[in-house]
Amino acid sequence: MEHLGLSLALFGAALAAALAGIGSAIGIGVAGGAAAGVMTEDPNKFGSCLILQALPGTQGIYGLLIAFFVLNKLGLLGGGGAAALTWNQGLQILASCLPIAVVGWYSAIWQGKTSAASIQMISKKPEAMGKAIILPAMVETYAVLALLTSILMLMGVQVG
Amino acid sequence: MSYVYAVARLRGMENHILDTAFFSRLMDSAGIDDAIKALGETSYSQWISQNGNNFDKAIDSEMLSTCEELKTFVPDKELLDIFRLPYDFHNVKVLLKGLFKVRGGESEGRRYDLLSKLGTINTEELMNAIETEEYGFLPYGLTDLIPQCWQLWDATKNAQAVELLIDHQMFSAMLKVAEDLKMPDVIHWVRSRIDAENLRSAVRLSRMKYDSPKALPFFHEGGTVRPDDMAKLLSEPQETWSRLLSHTDIGGVLSALQDSGDIKTSLSDVSKSLDDYLIKVLENAKYSMDAPANVLLYLLTKEAETRNMRVALVCVAGGLDREFGRRLLSNVR
Repeated sequence: MEHLGLSLALFGAALAAALAGIGSAIGIGVAGGAAAGVMTEDPNKFGSCLILQALPGTQGIYGLLIAFFVLNKLGLLGGGGAAALTWNQGLQILASCLPIAVVGWYSAIWQGKTSAASIQMISKKPEAMGKAIILPAMVETYAVLALLTSILMLMGVQVG
Repeated sequence: MSYVYAVARLRGMENHILDTAFFSRLMDSAGIDDAIKALGETSYSQWISQNGNNFDKAIDSEMLSTCEELKTFVPDKELLDIFRLPYDFHNVKVLLKGLFKVRGGESEGRRYDLLSKLGTINTEELMNAIETEEYGFLPYGLTDLIPQCWQLWDATKNAQAVELLIDHQMFSAMLKVAEDLKMPDVIHWVRSRIDAENLRSAVRLSRMKYDSPKALPFFHEGGTVRPDDMAKLLSEPQETWSRLLSHTDIGGVLSALQDSGDIKTSLSDVSKSLDDYLIKVLENAKYSMDAPANVLLYLLTKEAETRNMRVALVCVAGGLDREFGRRLLSNVR
């Protein structure tokens, strides 16, 4: 039981990176399918499609950021050995990772769907690229809020 | 199965659909040579040059090429079959009627030129199956239907009754394919298509002074309006039809027609309104990035385009009244 705290904290970091990453992969896949469809008919739209396809990828980066934050907090990045954690502290870190893990997962999938719809939109109206970016960017708001929540919660956890 | 890729590709293809303004300009052409020049930048030009200015063949080739292209990326081929299946039944009608004539002693009965390549069954194979009476491999219930058609023909010598039997089976097969796909929008469209056909028949039969009991066999099962209710329309004045069908989607088409007085003037206007209605039924799919109904919507839009092309070229080549031609154009985009 002496390493339970560390295990819980690492589980939290793993969830943040994995769930947000899975969501991003699905979102980018959905948007990529739409981009491929549009580019089959008009390869000149590659630039616009790429920007819209990349948008759901940010959640994966946020998840990775939180995972690094946790690893840094645990002292696992500098090679100096892990900090001693009680199970209660470990649980606090796990809870701090959940906002970006869960919100990142779902929001990336939905952002991918919105990006796919936007890609279809620019296929018919290339001049509406600005509006096409704003629509999936609205979904991003909630991933950013979740990232912020995770960071603030992690900063509040006292370790060592 | 995901339709994101397919729908996105269709959105790109929609950009190449020719709009009503183009057809209006096409009809302003001084002659057929000018019209062909105007078609130079469209996908039709390759078919016109390949078919030696045979417009009908060129237009069919364009539609066939569209269906073949869609087949390469649409996840459910049955969705395309729903669109193509009526052409199979059209071919069956052509072949059977030809054989009826041949067996009746007319040497020129066969009209292979009327066969459409847009069906799902290869025309050569269908021809062989019907001529050799080996129907075993035919889909959509044709295996049982064709012998029934022969029995009916032998008993009545009534080609119209045979056509009706074929049409009943066609709509039943369309509905079955749609139900097997389990796509609510597509099922609703097939049922609306049956309603549209029934309403077209009602208008036609009303002009021929048919009464309700005599008209009942002409209506197909499977629509949102029951055949009995459609037949009842014939015992009422046409002015009241829109009120009688006001609880149905298709009632809206009648209201619009009656407002413009077209229901009494021209059957072609009724047909055009019903064709436009069948596109409108699917229009909600436009707002979805992965609705399978977008495939049908695209095919219907393309079919409307080919219909417009036929109208425009016939008007230009035959020197017909351009204003009448413009009225027949469907608003495809």
